Amino acid sequence: MEPFRRFDRSTSLFIGLLIVSFLAATIDVRSQGAGIGDTLRDGTQSLFSPLQQAASVVTRPIVGFVDGISNIAGLREENDRLRDRVGELEAQAEDFAGLQNRLVELERINNLEPPGDVADITAQIFSVGVSSFDHIRWIDVGSDDGVVAGHTVIDEDGLVGRVDFVNATTARVRLISDPRNGVGVRDLDTNETGLIEGQGSGLLRLRMFNPEEPVEEGHLIVTEGGRYAPGVVVGRVAESATAEAGFSLITDVNAAVDFTRIDFVKVLVGWLPSDFSGPPEPGDPIPDAPEPFRGS
Amino acid sequence: MTGKHVFYALLLTVGGLVVQSTLFGESRINPFGAAPNLVLLLVVICAAYLEPEPALLVAFTSGLLMDLLGGSTIGLWAIAMLVAAYVTLRMRRRIDDGIVVVAAGVLGLSVLGQAIFAIASTLFGQQVFADPGWYRQIVLPSLYNVAFAAILIPVVSRVMGGRQVRRLV
Repeated sequence: MEPFRRFDRSTSLFIGLLIVSFLAATIDVRSQGAGIGDTLRDGTQSLFSPLQQAASVVTRPIVGFVDGISNIAGLREENDRLRDRVGELEAQAEDFAGLQNRLVELERINNLEPPGDVADITAQIFSVGVSSFDHIRWIDVGSDDGVVAGHTVIDEDGLVGRVDFVNATTARVRLISDPRNGVGVRDLDTNETGLIEGQGSGLLRLRMFNPEEPVEEGHLIVTEGGRYAPGVVVGRVAESATAEAGFSLITDVNAAVDFTRIDFVKVLVGWLPSDFSGPPEPGDPIPDAPEPFRGS
Repeated sequence: MTGKHVFYALLLTVGGLVVQSTLFGESRINPFGAAPNLVLLLVVICAAYLEPEPALLVAFTSGLLMDLLGGSTIGLWAIAMLVAAYVTLRMRRRIDDGIVVVAAGVLGLSVLGQAIFAIASTLFGQQVFADPGWYRQIVLPSLYNVAFAAILIPVVSRVMGGRQVRRLV
């Protein structure tokens, strides 16, 4: 331990800065993503984006190399697993026609035919969160490209997340795996609705509104609409569940998207969420009316 | 200790922040679902060299930048960095006790910083503990930090003129 006398001033500074930090956190929480906090984020991100984008160009091959190395060990195991899987798929192929008919019927019931005309723009992820606690991605499109906070973000597998902060050239996407995110969903097999909540690195948690209707493993879960574009695939139920004492029905869902592998994403700029409150800028295209959309 | 060293320390942490957000994490290098916290590590190492007041200001600035570039509420990483830097300042004479003490110190301070962030986040409604693997997000980055300390301590030592830790590495 250093002599206490030497730390008189530094202890005062330490306490002062701690108070400033707590005040900043309180103000940021109270302002709910608006005000000075977002102005600071905007300025900082504008400064760092060019650095991060340049660094991303350099680090991308390194990440690819490390990814490749780490995959070699698992290739043999993966090969065996795939052989077994091919056998299973061949057996399932016989049932495919029946399943397809069922899917068409379900889509018709739920009005989920892919419209194909919801405007979207493609974006690349150039930065991830700054710590293991972050479940965000920074993408290289922003308000200049028509992106607003609230837009749904998907990839080829399904729902990725939602834009929660935008500046001119970049946007922050909060993944559905973030514990602060909630997604209104529908079980396509039972047509019951519920809520998906992120659990960080764990599976997504599904809470059904009607506990009387059980959910089965493998049921397809899609977005219900509202804050997210409707009909986007979220994932499949990981474990069958029935109501506990009739009060609640909670189970886990395997996300359709592999969050560790996403690189390019699509922002559905042609669909505005129900909680969008920002006024359209002059000259902005009039967004399409909410239409069902299914991730390809 | 000059303003030049403070500037270097800020430059190092900013560099660490850029590397952290582009090379490590989900979708990047993320062994066993976690990544090192380079900024926290650099704040701890720099605090071993700088005078107390500049060390705290560097920690506060670095934490604030992490908050602004990450997804957390502003001020939470600043709190975690401040506490880690302050404890480093109080303990840094123990550096002379040997490399094992340095490694244990880096591990302990990394765990402390990550845990302080997790607790502060929970107080401000971020639900860090809703993640069933929350303990992994605290322990693994801290272990990685110990490994990275073997690389970064000599680098920082060289940049800072090697006042304290140089004897150990």
